[in-house]
Amino acid sequence: MSWQGELNKFLSATYKNWIISKRNVFTVFELVFWPFIGLLSIGLLTRFLQVTDDMVAFVLVGAIALSILQISQIDVAYILLFDLWSKSIKQTFVAPIRGYHLVLGAMLFGVIRGSAVFLILALASSRFFGFDFLAGGLVTVIVFLAGTFITAASIGMAVCISILLFGQRADVAAWSLSGIMMLVSGVYYPVEILPGPLQLLSKSIPLTYFLEYYRSAYGYGSHQVLLGMGLALLYFAASLLILNLAIERARTTGMMLRLSE
Amino acid sequence: MPALRAEKICKSFRGLFTKKEVLHEVSLSIEEGEVFGILGPNGAGKTTLMSIFSTLIRPDCGHLEVLGLDALQKTHAVRERINISSGNPNFPWSLTVRENLNHSAMLYGLYGRNLARSVDEAVAAFELEPHVSSKFETLSTGLKQRVSLAKSILNRPKILFLDEPTSGLDPDMAMKTRALIQKIYEEQDITVVLTTHYMPEAEELCDRIAFLREGSLIALGTPGELKRALKIGHRIFVEYEGDLDPVKLRIIPGVMDVRQSPGRVEMVFDHSERAVSRIIKAFAEADILDIGIDQPDLEDVFLELAR
Ligand SMILES: Nc1ncnc2c1ncn2[C@@H]1O[C@H](COP(=O)(O)OP(=O)(O)OP(=O)(O)O)[C@@H](O)[C@H]1O
Ligand SMILES: [Mg+2]
Repeated sequence: MSWQGELNKFLSATYKNWIISKRNVFTVFELVFWPFIGLLSIGLLTRFLQVTDDMVAFVLVGAIALSILQISQIDVAYILLFDLWSKSIKQTFVAPIRGYHLVLGAMLFGVIRGSAVFLILALASSRFFGFDFLAGGLVTVIVFLAGTFITAASIGMAVCISILLFGQRADVAAWSLSGIMMLVSGVYYPVEILPGPLQLLSKSIPLTYFLEYYRSAYGYGSHQVLLGMGLALLYFAASLLILNLAIERARTTGMMLRLSE
Repeated sequence: MPALRAEKICKSFRGLFTKKEVLHEVSLSIEEGEVFGILGPNGAGKTTLMSIFSTLIRPDCGHLEVLGLDALQKTHAVRERINISSGNPNFPWSLTVRENLNHSAMLYGLYGRNLARSVDEAVAAFELEPHVSSKFETLSTGLKQRVSLAKSILNRPKILFLDEPTSGLDPDMAMKTRALIQKIYEEQDITVVLTTHYMPEAEELCDRIAFLREGSLIALGTPGELKRALKIGHRIFVEYEGDLDPVKLRIIPGVMDVRQSPGRVEMVFDHSERAVSRIIKAFAEADILDIGIDQPDLEDVFLELAR
């Protein structure tokens, strides 16, 4: 297979996500409306509570991260979700395509959409709440975004894995998982205020480290971003491996056929 | 080298507390350039077998060779060289016909001008030009079926698996689709494996037929061989007035059965050609009022085997 052919296998998922996204009216809601509403309500809450500028930055970083995470995780989950909804899963898996083609291709689109959301929210928060999103420099922003995207891809893969293993309705489990993740990674508060066991759990979640990293630019102590990046990459590799195993398992259990019915 | 060789393929599907055997030690071999039919009643395991052949799902045991490759190991290489289209096909709903074909072509690693040409050819082959910009969800059953067939030739497969390619189509559309399949078969150097519930279709298209029942292969051969093996002969009936000695009928070579009722006799012969003149002679002392011959068809084979 030539490199162009190989490239197109990656881009097949990007292409599909792009078309479905541009044709879906909810895209506007996903990209602009909900993130914007989220940001605005959190920002206004900080006004009401009359918190310091540092605290405003702290909370806004969390709100922005959450929106990016959500949009780019669903782009990876769409690998299976769209096919699940149209009952066309077998068309994909009868073709000579591998898990990493689908994940990286969909992730590319997630990165594009996630970056767009970041830009919108960063500009809005600077305009309305005087938040200087470049306080730590461009590199900080890029590392923070990269970490968030890699983490999001793992959650998206977890959704796909649970569908392949347990069927249609199992995606709920994976979404709940990402909810718990958000609870313990300290999106709106420092993880130090969590009870002991949850604090321990938060140390195993990459997002915790990326939030700390970005916030350190606003005077919130130290960070261990390298550890976070290491964890994120580890989870990414593990999720990809498990996704491939789940695809093979779905071929053995017949789930691959049932999901197309 | 056969295009496909299956040896003792088994498959069971497990529920939480149940296990259902769907295929039991199916062995068969399909020659290159053949149109091979898989027939059998509902739930016999045809779709499961096609899904295993096309590497979509894995068998529990057995050995499968596709185009000389071990299809349980070299799944990726096999997928590059084959394709499948199934009845009631589905594609991402909000993509148009062309977008869906583009997407499928990308899945097969096509790119650039080659991709555009493959998609154009597939669109032309199944006469989809007027519909390329329609969303998949707006298409009729027949058109969806044709999109699926068009998709199945994008990568110029060496083996094409067609699972009920004409199910849900009206007779006219079904005939057209059969003609299109025939055309693809003639124009491209290809082996076709198909399932159908429509016997005239199997008889028209297939060189050989395998018959599955409850997951086991119970018959295999050309349509003619199957009819002979099952002693499904030509039925000849005669209505007459006058005297008839039935013994004269029973000694005619090739007779398989004779049934007499007043004024009417029904016989089954393995061949009708030479029998007719002998039959007429046997009625020398009677007047023949009517005579008719029923050619056996695959429908009879099906009914006999499915019993
Ligand atoms: N993925 C699956 N999980 C569990 N059971 C399955 C699965 N696929 C098929 N079966 C069962 O296996 C049996 C054979 O099904 P299959 O679809 O292969 O039959 P078929 O010959 O194609 O039937 P039809 O003529 O109705 O299309 C059926 O009893 C069906 O319920
Ligand atoms: Mg079937």
